Parts: sequence; C-alpha cells; structure tokens
Amino acid sequence: MLLFAVISLPALSTPVFEIEIRNHLFFPSELTVPVNTKVKLLIINRDSSAEEFESYELNREKIIPANSKGVVFIGPLKPGVYPFFGEFFPKTAQGKIHVNEQ
Amino acid sequence: MLINSVGIILREVLEASLIMSVLLALSHLNQISRSWCIGATIMGLIGATLYAVNLATISSLYDGLGQEIVNICLYVLIFIFVLIIVKTLSQKPKAKLFVFSMVVCVAAAIVREGSEVIIYLNGFSSIPELFTPVLIGGAIGAGIGLSVGVFFYYLIINLSAVNAYCFSLAILILVAGGLMSQMTQLLLQADLVPSQSVIWDTSWLVSEHSLVGQILFALMGYEATPTMLQVVLYVVSIVITTGFAYGSFKTYKKAG
Repeated sequence: MLLFAVISLPALSTPVFEIEIRNHLFFPSELTVPVNTKVKLLIINRDSSAEEFESYELNREKIIPANSKGVVFIGPLKPGVYPFFGEFFPKTAQGKIHVNEQ
Repeated sequence: MLINSVGIILREVLEASLIMSVLLALSHLNQISRSWCIGATIMGLIGATLYAVNLATISSLYDGLGQEIVNICLYVLIFIFVLIIVKTLSQKPKAKLFVFSMVVCVAAAIVREGSEVIIYLNGFSSIPELFTPVLIGGAIGAGIGLSVGVFFYYLIINLSAVNAYCFSLAILILVAGGLMSQMTQLLLQADLVPSQSVIWDTSWLVSEHSLVGQILFALMGYEATPTMLQVVLYVVSIVITTGFAYGSFKTYKKAG
C-alpha cells in the first residue's frame, strides 16, 4: 500500500525549500527536510556573480548564474547531516541540510 | 581564493585533458596526423563560450532544468563517440569516422568543462581584488591539468604498441563509465528518473573531498554514495565498452 501511495503521489506534492544566495552566503544556511522524501530545492542567487551549489554528500552540483534561480531535486534521504557549499566562494558559502528521524 | 581556484580549474581541465591525451596518443599509434585536435579545441572553446554566455537563459528552460538537459546530452554524445572510437580504432578503412569521432569527443568535452571555467572566471571579473589571485590560481590549475595530459600522452606513446592500445582502451572504458555515472546523477538531480536512495557509502574509505577521491572521480567517475541506477548504468557502460574494446583489440592483433 505504501509503495502505491509513493508512486501515485503527484509531482506537485514534492516539498519545496528555498535557499537564497546573498553576498556569497546561504540563507538559510541550515534547513531541515523530511526523512525519506524527495525534496525540491529552489536556489535563488541574488549576487552579481555565478555560484555553484555543490554537495558531495548529496551528490549534487549545479551552477546558479548571477541574479537567477535554479532547481535541484534531492533525496529521499536517511536521517543525518548533509553539508553543502558554494564551490566558487567556499569560505563563506557553507550550509547544512538536516534530516531528522520522524 | 587562490588555492580554491587552482582546485576548480584543475578538476575541469583534467577531465578534458585526459580524454585529449589518450586520443592524441591513439592518433600517434595509428599514424594519423594530430592536427584534428586544433580544430576540435577551437570548436570546443567557441561552444564553451556560447554555452557560458547563455547559461542563464539555458538554465531557465524546462522549468529550470535546461542546464541538466544540455549536460546530459553532452555526456551521452561523448559516450556514443567514445564507443565509436573504441570500435573503429583498428579498422583502417574507417579512419575518417575515427577522426571525426575524436573531434566530436574533444570538442564536446571542452564545451562541458570549458564553460564552467569561463563562468567561474567571469564571476570574478567584477571583483577586482579577487580577480588576480583567481587568474593566477586558474593558470596554475590549468597548467597542472595540461601537464598530467602531456604526461599521459608520453607515457602511452612510449609503451610497446600492444600495451599502449590496452592502456588507452582501459582509460577510455573507465572514462565511459564515469560519463554514464555523471549523467545518471544529473537525471536524478533534474528528477527526470524516479528518485533513488543511496545503496552504499564508501566515504570512510575514499572521501570525495580528498585528493585521491578527486583523481578517481576524474579518471573513473568515483562516487562514494551511489544509487542503484548509477551503479547499474556504470556497469552496463563498462561492459559494452569493454566488449567493443575486446573486438577492436582482436582485429588489431590479427592485423599484426
């Protein structure tokens, strides 16, 4: 039953989380997403330079051009902490995604 | 900033430089003029510039997934032409197709990796105090990446012909696996295939953050936390390329 429920979930029900890039910092820099769920990250770059959203733990890598936005799907994730960073400005652009037990 | 830019540019240049050096070495072994590489590089750089300049527009296509779709197409294109190269390697009558495939591979690899370099450097052009260190770091990274390519080239052409073919084919097989692995990751990132859970974690053994992890990634698409689809496509592409390589090698030995 659970399997059917997962398959039949419409795409619209994918939870969306927004992350903004301002002055080479992520806002919010830490966020909590639901366990074992596919999540859509909407990354909005407000800087006038491009940034690359990257995470080895999440297996994700995407350039977000200056003053534009990008979409990255992640998960389903097990409980844990998944760091991410901006590859172009890694000193400041650091963040973490928390996945907690239900 | 300097060290960071060394790493970023190195990683991009290394991937393209590795493919280029193996293909140049194969040209040398097959006594084919290596001049095709100049045209391929120029085409690649033009393509990379066009891609970089239009990245914002491309990214916003298909609900913000345009970038992934273009990169998936590039990976598939390179993969197909790596297969053709492996297949036609020892077939003299197919020399034209062999050269054409090498041009496509190198040009597409430069578009893929070069566009990231251009976007990265361009971002810093508006930040004068950082632009110089980034350019210096970038030059060092590019220098190391190209040196590794030159090293591989001379390593291969100084082997005996049989060993040189084996070694080149082995690298192309690993590169092909890496291409499919990266492509799968983009399919998942863009939600174009059903989402998958990670099936194992070898980050305790080789972390992707480490130098070894980065080199393994450039060489064979190493991934510490892969998904099932990624592993399956990786293995399938390795098996197909190895099959082609084996056939090619037999033809080569028969021809003497």
